Amino acid sequence: MAHDTDVPDPAAFAAEVRAFLDAHARPAADRAGFVWGEGDDRVAYFSSDPPEVEQAATQAARDWQRTRYENGFGWITGPKEYGGRGLTPVHDMVYDAVEAEYDVPDTGVLAVVGLGMIGPTILAHARQHIKDHWLPAMYRGDAIACQLFSEPDAGSDLASVQTRAVRDGDTWVLNGQKVWTSVAHHSRIGVALTRTNPDAPKHKGITAFLVDMTTPGVEVRPLRQMTGGADFNEVFLTDVRVPDDHRLGEVDGGWTVALTTLMNERATVGNEGAGPVAAALSPERLAALLRATWTLDDHAVRARLADLLADIKATEALNARAMRSLRAGHSPGPEMSVSKLMYGQNLTRAAHFVTDVLGPSAVADTGQWGTYAWSELLLATPALRILGGTEEIMKNILAERVLGLPKEPGIDTKSPFRELRGVRTKEGSA
Amino acid sequence: MTVVGTSHEELEELRAAVRSFLEAKSSEEAVRKAAETELRYDPQVWAQMAEQLRLPGLIVPEEYGGDGFGQVALGVVLEEAGRALLCSPLFATVVLAAQALLASGDHEACARHLPGIAAGRTTAALAVAEDSGAWDPVQIRTRAVRAQEDGSNGWELTGSKSFVVDGASAELLLVIARTTAGPSLFAVDGKAPGVTAEAMETLDATRAMARLRLDAAPATLVGTDGAGGRLMARVLDSAVVGLAAEQVGGAGRCLDASAEYARTRTQFGRAIGTFQAVKHKCADMLVQVELARAVAREAARIADEGGEPGEFAATAAAAHVYCSRAFMSAAMENIQVHGGIGFTWEHPAHLYFRRAKSSQLMFGGPSAQHERFLERLGI
Repeated sequence: MAHDTDVPDPAAFAAEVRAFLDAHARPAADRAGFVWGEGDDRVAYFSSDPPEVEQAATQAARDWQRTRYENGFGWITGPKEYGGRGLTPVHDMVYDAVEAEYDVPDTGVLAVVGLGMIGPTILAHARQHIKDHWLPAMYRGDAIACQLFSEPDAGSDLASVQTRAVRDGDTWVLNGQKVWTSVAHHSRIGVALTRTNPDAPKHKGITAFLVDMTTPGVEVRPLRQMTGGADFNEVFLTDVRVPDDHRLGEVDGGWTVALTTLMNERATVGNEGAGPVAAALSPERLAALLRATWTLDDHAVRARLADLLADIKATEALNARAMRSLRAGHSPGPEMSVSKLMYGQNLTRAAHFVTDVLGPSAVADTGQWGTYAWSELLLATPALRILGGTEEIMKNILAERVLGLPKEPGIDTKSPFRELRGVRTKEGSA
Repeated sequence: MTVVGTSHEELEELRAAVRSFLEAKSSEEAVRKAAETELRYDPQVWAQMAEQLRLPGLIVPEEYGGDGFGQVALGVVLEEAGRALLCSPLFATVVLAAQALLASGDHEACARHLPGIAAGRTTAALAVAEDSGAWDPVQIRTRAVRAQEDGSNGWELTGSKSFVVDGASAELLLVIARTTAGPSLFAVDGKAPGVTAEAMETLDATRAMARLRLDAAPATLVGTDGAGGRLMARVLDSAVVGLAAEQVGGAGRCLDASAEYARTRTQFGRAIGTFQAVKHKCADMLVQVELARAVAREAARIADEGGEPGEFAATAAAAHVYCSRAFMSAAMENIQVHGGIGFTWEHPAHLYFRRAKSSQLMFGGPSAQHERFLERLGI
């Protein structure tokens, strides 16, 4: 790829993006032209498509990512030596803003976890040859990546992972079970957190590895959610052999690697403000729904609508200010955690508000456009308050890191992990 | 001319200057003392606010003797004033009266009144609401008639006004009254014959309110006859943005007080902030304060820099709804976090509770705010 070595100013960059998109995509349908009763009425956060439809969507996402990559827009902030463009987060935002005006495939399957969280983690912690090989593959759309972090006994307490990695010469042998792994069924690689030293305190005995998902012993089983779709998976690792040069960071230093991913996770999840779900929360769409169901004159409904829209407007203001501050070169403050919290809460409140207003039409499908469709979002909301860090964990972070409140006593960061497990078992049986 | 694009550094300098002034002049003790006086503020402090910090003239254009800053700069000052529960004529004089004069587009009236306001010599009040407390042009009953039939510009006002912020102490009264052309804005000398001002007992003693009786009180028309309805809407938009900034400051102070107490107060042998029940309450307050701050500042920014058509009106109304709720919630939770001491007379928490509720109910209260917000979104 031959690209200008200078950093273009945002206006020039926007023009460049526009020229690219004009050549490769069609302008999006005018959102202001929303008409009640016309077009797709789905309001879903998770997909509930049959596997063949999902496969086709994944392929479209890969193809679009490749087109972006080949034209210099696949990894705008990435270093040039790994196929990135070497530009700033501002350019990234400019790209997103311009692309939003076009009708292009949703690349969330690659972007949310792989490019948003795993890419930066590999960049920060992997060996040279891993970066040389996998980073271009990921950003070209060839290799989807997943995060093999959570386990049945390590959810919010992520440092309690028990998947074992035992050294055998130049390789490591991994055994254990992961859960809540988004896009694992599409993934070529995953980053796994493993326990390498049970005699060290729990944060100190963890090691991270890049796992090739085609290695024998890796088994992915989809987890069906209450929406009916299967966006998460269980991943079983049985005698999976990983070369030592696929290790990320130091032996027993995996917690640092995990933190890189988690920091990027909060930024990514909180930033999902755009897209079809956000459009469903627009004042005009909600007003149209209330008009169509003859509830817009109800005083109690109006008061609730105003409160909901005030929350949404305030969140939009917070996001807009965070972006402006980022653009001015300031580092983001607590906005990202607040934004992540509000994203889940606003969707939850909206789904309950709308379905309460709909009443029976949310319980069973009357065939009326745009009504029962909301039940899909409703069924996703309990997950939204948990994924990417539960609300409770986010609140702990805000209270401890921003307000300086003391940590809960009894969180043992000094005893060997092996002993902590013993304590837990005793408590569990009591 | 409005000076826009004030830099981040300049705003932070302004904030630091106002904060250190208020730490010295608007301590809790000073607030309690001022709230017990008839005037409800300390005239000496007000004079110093004018001389040392030039606050009354902050948003008054330079041609009328002010410094010509915008809503963003005013917001910084009001956030600090709200934090400190400052008792002063700033809100009535600048956020309501000066903005009403500017919104009237009446150059002569601005030239007559604004220099005195900017210099801190004149305090002013804006009298709109009547017995119902609503800011609704339809509910204006106070009448204005021409004093003489010779076409001179003298008018006489008759009627009553309620909930007039600093109405008993203001030297200049700006009054909305009805003429044959509709609601209109008038200037009345606070000491004019036919004007009786009576202080109302208030939930929030840090914000004085008065009932005015106007009995053929001599008045001068400000702006266009019959333009009062539109003017009320414009003044309300900028006033609620100012109020939102004050509410952000108050809510922020409640949050800080709660966090400080949760860090230091021990029960069951540990700081209460280690309990998630308390920790999460503080985190919830933080979330609301951050959102309130964002939407209030965004509304002020759009006021200064402009935006899409209708964006300012909608954002201002959103700020009003959100910040009213956030401050009330922070003030309630602050008392909760402080346990028994929070609801005692001696603890300052109730001062914020009173200010929060009273602010939430200004300009018509939540149901009026909700309708105004929805209307501005076209719903």
